[in-house]
Amino acid sequence: MRLGMVRGHVTLSLAVETFRGKTLAIVEPVTMENLRARNSLGGGKALVAVDELGAAAGQMVAFTEGTEAANPFWPDRIPVDAYCALIVDTFHV
Amino acid sequence: MFLARIAGSAVSVVKHATLAGCRLSIAQRLEADGSAAVEPILVLDWMGAANGATVLVSTDGDIARLRLGNTTPVRLTVVGIVDQVQMAGQERA
Repeated sequence: MRLGMVRGHVTLSLAVETFRGKTLAIVEPVTMENLRARNSLGGGKALVAVDELGAAAGQMVAFTEGTEAANPFWPDRIPVDAYCALIVDTFHV
Repeated sequence: MFLARIAGSAVSVVKHATLAGCRLSIAQRLEADGSAAVEPILVLDWMGAANGATVLVSTDGDIARLRLGNTTPVRLTVVGIVDQVQMAGQERA
C-alpha cells in the first residue's frame, strides 16, 4: 500500500455496471519528505481509488494497487486497480 | 520481492474489516545502491520488524488472503527480516 492525501472525489455519468454506487476518491501519494514534515502535502502523481470508508478531502489514506485492489469485491469481478484500505489516524516516522 | 527499511508505523481506526488487529509499518523501498525510495509504503508485518530494520517485502497478496480471507486488499507483506546483504564490492546490514 502507498500513503496518499484525499484531494476530492469523482462522479461518473456513465460507467461500467460494477462501478454503480462506488465512491471514487482522487488521491495524491505522499512522499517521505512530506510525511516527515507532516505538512499535509502529497507530492506524487494523483490517481483515482475506490473508497468504501468515507474518507474526506484532506484525510490520509493507504491504498492498495493491482489485482489485490479488487479483492474486497470477491467473488465479483470488477475493474478496480486502486482501493482505499484504511484511513490513517496517527503515524510515527 | 524487494528490500525495504522500516521507517515507522501507522495507526488506523477506520479500515477494511480484514485489517483488524494488523500491525502496519511504514517502510521505504531500497534501491541497489542502498538509497531509499522517495515514496514510503505501508506494509503488513506479522514478523515484528523493528524500526530501522531491513526487511524483505513481497508484493504477492496470497499470504494475506490466506490469513485474512479472500476479500482482503492487502498486497505488501513482510516475509522476512534481513540479516545481511552482500553485494559485489560492498556489504551492509
